[in-house]
Amino acid sequence: MHVQITDLEFSYGKASNAVVQNFNLHMNEGEIVSILGESGSGKSTILRLIAGLETPSQGKIGVGKDTYVDDQSGKILPVEKRGLGMVFQDYALFPHMTVGANILYGLNKWKGPARRARLQEMLELINMTEYRKRYPHELSGGQQQRIALARALAPQPPLLLLDEPFSNLDAHLKHRIRDELRETIKYTGTTTIFVTHDQEDAKVLSDRVVLVDKGEVKKTGTPYELLKETTVPQGIGGAQA
Amino acid sequence: MPFLKRPSLAAVGWGSGAVGFVLLLLLPLGFLLYRIVQPPSENWNHIQEYMLLGYTIDTLTLAVSVGVLSIALGTTLAWLISAYTFPFRNTLKWALLMPLAIPPYIGAYAYHGMLNYTGFIQRTLRTTFDIEVSQRYFDIMNIPGAVFIYTIFLYPYVYAITRAFFARQATTLIENARVLGSGPVRTFFRIVLPVSRAAIVGGVTLVMLEVLNDYGLVNYFGIQTFSTAIFQTWYALDDLNSAIRLAGILMGIVLVFLLLEKVFRGRQQYSYTSAKASPLKPQVLEGWKKWTALSFSGVVFLLGFILPIFQLLYWGMLTYEAIFSAEFVSLIRNSTIAAGISSLLVVVFAVIIANFTRVASGWFSTVIARFTVLGYSIPGAVIAVGVISFFLYAETQLQLFYAYAGISTELMLSTSLVMLVFAYVIRFMAVGYNSIESGFEKIGRRYSEASRTLGMGWIKTFFKVDLPMIRAAVFSGFILVFVDILKELPLTLILRPFNFETLATTAYRYASDERIQETAVPSLSIILVSAIAMFVFHILIEKEPN
Ligand SMILES: Nc1ncnc2c1ncn2[C@@H]1O[C@H](COP(=O)(O)OP(=O)(O)OP(=O)(O)O)[C@@H](O)[C@H]1O
Ligand SMILES: [Mg+2]
Repeated sequence: MHVQITDLEFSYGKASNAVVQNFNLHMNEGEIVSILGESGSGKSTILRLIAGLETPSQGKIGVGKDTYVDDQSGKILPVEKRGLGMVFQDYALFPHMTVGANILYGLNKWKGPARRARLQEMLELINMTEYRKRYPHELSGGQQQRIALARALAPQPPLLLLDEPFSNLDAHLKHRIRDELRETIKYTGTTTIFVTHDQEDAKVLSDRVVLVDKGEVKKTGTPYELLKETTVPQGIGGAQA
Repeated sequence: MPFLKRPSLAAVGWGSGAVGFVLLLLLPLGFLLYRIVQPPSENWNHIQEYMLLGYTIDTLTLAVSVGVLSIALGTTLAWLISAYTFPFRNTLKWALLMPLAIPPYIGAYAYHGMLNYTGFIQRTLRTTFDIEVSQRYFDIMNIPGAVFIYTIFLYPYVYAITRAFFARQATTLIENARVLGSGPVRTFFRIVLPVSRAAIVGGVTLVMLEVLNDYGLVNYFGIQTFSTAIFQTWYALDDLNSAIRLAGILMGIVLVFLLLEKVFRGRQQYSYTSAKASPLKPQVLEGWKKWTALSFSGVVFLLGFILPIFQLLYWGMLTYEAIFSAEFVSLIRNSTIAAGISSLLVVVFAVIIANFTRVASGWFSTVIARFTVLGYSIPGAVIAVGVISFFLYAETQLQLFYAYAGISTELMLSTSLVMLVFAYVIRFMAVGYNSIESGFEKIGRRYSEASRTLGMGWIKTFFKVDLPMIRAAVFSGFILVFVDILKELPLTLILRPFNFETLATTAYRYASDERIQETAVPSLSIILVSAIAMFVFHILIEKEPN
């Protein structure tokens, strides 16, 4: 298994109720998994735990050959050592850097020529070569989203984390971007966890869906198996963004 | 079992810097407390019996009267400017802030000069109208005069905070009241004043703290407040012990004011971040109302800025040849060095502490943040005695150490710039901190988080992402502190090294020597720098999208 997450548990601050509990997820290399759940169910928190932005009180996280968190040995790998790709809900593109500098940011350990080649490759992948010198505020929402994806994918992360990547986009734009996104991810073969509260997104994008509620896995299966049962009346389960 | 939970490296890194700084900041205050519990000197009985009541009455009379008048003036002007349009309103909007560029002691020199026997008002009356008026109608060097000066130069604190509140928060309430048929006067007293209570209280507290802090004006006017008393006990009586006791009492008064602020403010907040309110749509004033509004705000601007500036400019023309000299260059250099070094330190410490309170939430970082801004409420004279007693102690210890280690040195901390810079940093830390903290608040944490997931450690993240993104806040923090230090008088007077003259101390010295005309050039230099800074900030704030 490429990604192994076992018995994750977490609560914010001194709050006694756990935001995430008994969370288990195992993934094959190249798989795209959606975490689907209502607002406040702990989806973003799960991604933050995997990324290392929060530390679980219990559990194990391993990706590839690396152990990120292990409650037996007490090991915690710091965020910056994990080398994951993460696309934030509002993209968090550095406003004081150009598109090129944003994408290069995660490549600081690469050698000069390889860095430049990788930048070119990423810009071509998202069809935005002519935007290299622009600043984020000079781009449309959809373009910003693509840059954020390119920035996250550039260092060839073993795991890509996407937190509601479409929430800032217009509905008509979303469909196109969603297809492109799946294509890009599949093309690079990146293992991906994708958080959403939209069943439609989960269905189109993922190989497998994990339903969470109160930070716990309720069900898991292919989009077809899982969403067949739950999509009876249109719109229930937060289908509208 | 939360055994995996431990503070992050970043929190520990920023935290140790923050704690170290706050401890340093608290040391002088700790010394003050320690010295207060020592037995009193023999002067103290005399002070307590014959002087203390007078100090208290004069200090409180000044602070409270100025507070009340500033509320009246500041809120009225803020309301006129926000709710109505009349000729020159857009100019007056920022012009009414400008009196803040003139420190009260400089305003006092100007007004005294204008009003005394040889001043231009009496001279004009005598020569042009042949009127001789009794001298006592022109005597401004008393408590009512001081109240006037403080009010006319400090009311902008209330005006600025209240106007910002009207513009961003109170709109819906006020418009609702209008729709419900409430007339302007009723709206003002029943809606506007109550909903903006927190903003008004915040502004007036700043005004009163400034009054308690002031030394230059009361000393010039010969009014006995705690600030002047602390100086006299210390310099004239050479009694640091009693000075420290007076400082303790003054600090008690400050604490009472701060407590009252809390009580009066209640649970209201006046932060602008939450609501996305649209600005109030001003109503057009017609006829006599239009002219009344214009003349009222025009007269305030005239009294608070134009008149004193013209008086100073006139004196400046008479004296500039004598003043512009090698000595003046050294004044500017001294002022710039002292203010520059201190502002730089303030900004560096503020960035460290603000970063810590950002990455570590919880009671500990809240306490650190509170201590950081403490200094701004402490009057200069109090900080000065605290810092002095701390340095005297430190020096004795150092001498012991030097003797022990066999080092012979002439190095004296208390006669170097170190002591003054230290005091400036304590007093103006809050100004820099607030600016930088609001900068961090605007960017939030996600950019640093994005940087961390892209493989940068916390130190590199800070230099590559955080710092460039808050550079505007850092810059404005630096400028605000710089200007405040340029104007500062009590700390500078007490703690400067021997023969170290700044623009502010020179203006003070000329005034004390009755060479009032010569105060003009150093005063105008201070005002010019403050006015430019204020004008630039006004433009920046007005431009801000939300
Ligand atoms: N920094 C925080 N401090 C305290 N509680 C938090 C914090 N962040 C989130 N929570 C709480 O944790 C729970 C899970 O939040 P989380 O952001 O993971 O939900 P989510 O499923 O991503 O929701 P959404 O779909 O709205 O983004 C919520 O109840 C939230 O209130
Ligand atoms: Mg979320």
